[in-house]
Amino acid sequence: MAGVVGLAQRWEAPMRQAVEIDLSPSALPLYTLLSLSRGFAAYLLSLAFTLTYGTIAAHGKRAEKIMLPLLDIGQGIPVLGFLPGLVLGMVALFPRTNVGLELACIVMIFTGQVWNMTFSYIGSLRSIPEELHEVARIHRFSFWKRFRTVEVSSSVIGLVWNSMMSMAGGWFFLTVNEAFTLGDRDFRLPGIGSYMAVAIEKGDGRAMAWAIVAMIVMIVACDQLLWRPLVAWSQRFRNADVEGEAAPESWVLNLVRRSAFLRRLRLRRRRRRRATPPSPAPMLAVAEAISGASGERVRTGILAAVGLVAAAGALLGAWKLVGLLARVPSGEWVVLAGALGATFLRTLAALALATAWTLPIGILVGRSAVWSRRLQPVIQIVASFPAPMLFPIVTGVLLVLHVPFGAIAAVLMFLGAQWYVLFNVLAGASAIPHDLDEAADVYAMKGRARWRMLFVPAVFPFLVTGLVTAAGGAWNASIVAETLTWRGKTLETFGLGSLITKATREANFPLLTAGVLTMSLALVLLNRLVWRRLYRLAETKYSLNR
Amino acid sequence: MSARPSPAAAPPIAAARGVDKVYADEAGRKRVILKNVDFEVRENEVVAVLGPSGCGKSTLLRLLIGLIPPSAGTVEQHGKPLEGIHPGAAVVFQNFALFPWLSVSDNVRVGLNGRPLPAGEAEERVKAVLAAVGLSGHERDYPKELSGGMKQRVGIARALVGRPELLCMDEPFSALDVLTAELLRTEVYRLFTERTSGLSSVLLITHLIEEAVFLGDRIVVLGANPGTVRREIVNTVPHPREYRSPAFLQMVELIHDVVTGVHLPDSPSAPSATGPGRRVAGPVAPLPAVRVGEILGLLEILADHGGTMNLFDIDALTDYDFGRTIAVAKGAEMLELVDTPKNDVVLTEIGRRMVSASTAGRPALLRVELLTLGVFGLVIRELAKDPDTPLTGDSVRDLLAERLPTVGASELFETLVNWGRSGQLFDFDAASDTLALYSGREEDADD
Repeated sequence: MAGVVGLAQRWEAPMRQAVEIDLSPSALPLYTLLSLSRGFAAYLLSLAFTLTYGTIAAHGKRAEKIMLPLLDIGQGIPVLGFLPGLVLGMVALFPRTNVGLELACIVMIFTGQVWNMTFSYIGSLRSIPEELHEVARIHRFSFWKRFRTVEVSSSVIGLVWNSMMSMAGGWFFLTVNEAFTLGDRDFRLPGIGSYMAVAIEKGDGRAMAWAIVAMIVMIVACDQLLWRPLVAWSQRFRNADVEGEAAPESWVLNLVRRSAFLRRLRLRRRRRRRATPPSPAPMLAVAEAISGASGERVRTGILAAVGLVAAAGALLGAWKLVGLLARVPSGEWVVLAGALGATFLRTLAALALATAWTLPIGILVGRSAVWSRRLQPVIQIVASFPAPMLFPIVTGVLLVLHVPFGAIAAVLMFLGAQWYVLFNVLAGASAIPHDLDEAADVYAMKGRARWRMLFVPAVFPFLVTGLVTAAGGAWNASIVAETLTWRGKTLETFGLGSLITKATREANFPLLTAGVLTMSLALVLLNRLVWRRLYRLAETKYSLNR
Repeated sequence: MSARPSPAAAPPIAAARGVDKVYADEAGRKRVILKNVDFEVRENEVVAVLGPSGCGKSTLLRLLIGLIPPSAGTVEQHGKPLEGIHPGAAVVFQNFALFPWLSVSDNVRVGLNGRPLPAGEAEERVKAVLAAVGLSGHERDYPKELSGGMKQRVGIARALVGRPELLCMDEPFSALDVLTAELLRTEVYRLFTERTSGLSSVLLITHLIEEAVFLGDRIVVLGANPGTVRREIVNTVPHPREYRSPAFLQMVELIHDVVTGVHLPDSPSAPSATGPGRRVAGPVAPLPAVRVGEILGLLEILADHGGTMNLFDIDALTDYDFGRTIAVAKGAEMLELVDTPKNDVVLTEIGRRMVSASTAGRPALLRVELLTLGVFGLVIRELAKDPDTPLTGDSVRDLLAERLPTVGASELFETLVNWGRSGQLFDFDAASDTLALYSGREEDADD
């Protein structure tokens, strides 16, 4: 982190002209496509990162010990804290063109996408049955063949599902990623996020509405044309023995699969395949070396080299970091602590708000198979919508109701966080075993007793998972929620998020670093002290694994 | 305790009068689970309901105590229409249904819900019932810490603590290993015969003939597709019951015969004409839910035993429960590979040819037999309308549900596909759920 910031400071980039954003609706389709292409570029980056990082982490027992906690920390760090350094660095690297800014934006979207994909992939790799590994060894699979047939195949379902979630998560900070002020410099990329940002700045309600419509169209199109078919397709990798749940379906995929044209194509391909004998798989020397008997030494060597470079980098970074932090006056640290407390309270309020409505509603809906089937896709699309785009509208309404902005910020944080809780409660409610329900019926467990003794304990593990994710989201969202430009004037409330935003605006890098670091530390600490304990309780007492 | 017929005046504790139960699956296809069932649980009796899996016996239990409503007919308690849950009923569930987050004693106390008692007495009752099922000292344990047998003891304690007039047991020992099940069965037998727990009547759901004879005063045999009451037998085996006593063995034999008669009737099977006329497809009848591999396995066993075997000897050789053995025999009989006079299974000439055929030769033999079955004729006619276009699985399931409403269409479809692929009649692509006429091409999984 310090490295990026340092790099940014050293490279004094020339002033850039901000792109003029056209607020007429006819400009939106192009902007939407531009944003979408950034999202996909970031997604490809995420996928490549996931496959490499996950494969390395899952293969070496020692590597795993370092790489998993690193991932955990990476997930907790407020992504927006990286933005200034990244933008300055990238722009400096490509001073003449927009490439630097584009790359910075893509990397920012990437940081919003990548974590749960990588976690899911590593999780899948670890749960591959030992027999499959043994088969691969007995039949001397090459590295690539094992990667393809064993590892990727076993993780496709989780990866596809998390890809869908990741794409949605990547949009969250789009308004900030595409339009961004740093010190006296204004960075802007043509896209739906910057369109919205400019619309908010100018208080143009019609343009805001158009941006929201365009965003919804983009999300629905992605969902129906890409993710649904992929999810349905991925079911073929399902472990055959698990039955019961209705398999996901996609009308697009059904259409494709049943079309006569494709059927003919498939037949022709089969025939051709039979005609030509299978060629032996290309043997890659490196892959052979890695999977071969002598591979262990090579692998250890590579690992050691990577570790050495990483350690050197970390050392250098820590040195820079100390240097930066030393420039933060001690009075500022007190302010930081206070801001931390304020944002912490706001996070709690956001979580309480989210739990208060999602727990009863989630349980009621999740327990009805009909309703959850009907509402699930709708909720999914609603949840994919980046909440910051709604901030101005919600703020406007609440300001009219004379709610102080300090409280509004908590509501804004809640907007994005609630969905994580809702999804998990829904899943939990639909997983309540049928016979427990019948037992409650037979033994006259009614009304409040039923909620207290059956529903709430049964969804508790799911609720905890949802709250952990929601808490992380709320902390990150505080950066955009505690400061808001509304009809030309800036609303601000005291908190860690607004402090980070202010430091960014004023290009106060020591304070920015201190703020980001404080937030990351607070997240790690909360994870260790609070969430992990709740997890343990959920896994032992409230687990439904009987 | 022998069957004590209650005075004619007292109405039954629970009764079903002309009850139907129809379910619809996700696609809206209806399936008749129970058809016109008349059934009673009287005072002071243990009724065992015996039937193969899928015949609706658990559904009958749930109807009688009001967990689910009937589609037609009425359910009564003490002569009055049942509203809500039967007030005097308690249930021991197949998979225990304990609340994992409640301790053993709290789980048992759930059984006192809706039966307000002074605090002290509730405590006493829980303690007493835990002692009765051998769980003293485990009050503070959580279900997760207990073995399966102990869990079911908690389930039994929870059911008994409220002193129910009707104790329902839904395959209570089938989730346990054989030895644990036997121990618990004996203890439950003692509870029934000693009648110390304020218990009046018991409804036992089981698929094991021995279990029904061991515990039941009256044994009700259900037939499947749709579930109906086929026979009622008063169990005359005197107490104390011993598995090896002649009376017990005789009773088991009798019930075997009844069950076989219900599921494998001796009347000649439909397409029995031999010769050139054989290709005429018989009536559209459901297929038993067994795989061709199981049928071929049965033929191998028969061939090893000289071509003839008693059904119960086959049952003893396999790990199957009786209902499943019968289903396999029935499948083989439909394909004319065996004959089933009385309780015997006899290899037919076609069956012998099938056994001696090579693996590659078997599909052709099987295909000839499949074509005599009406249900295959039905589907093939549908496919032949446009041989180049495969049918979706759903449309075939709809077709089956329409013609055979008493069978689960999805299950029947699965069996149909299994048989049809083994006889190289169909190609089935699971990924797109499409069924086509067999093309002779290899099925290819990856594309």
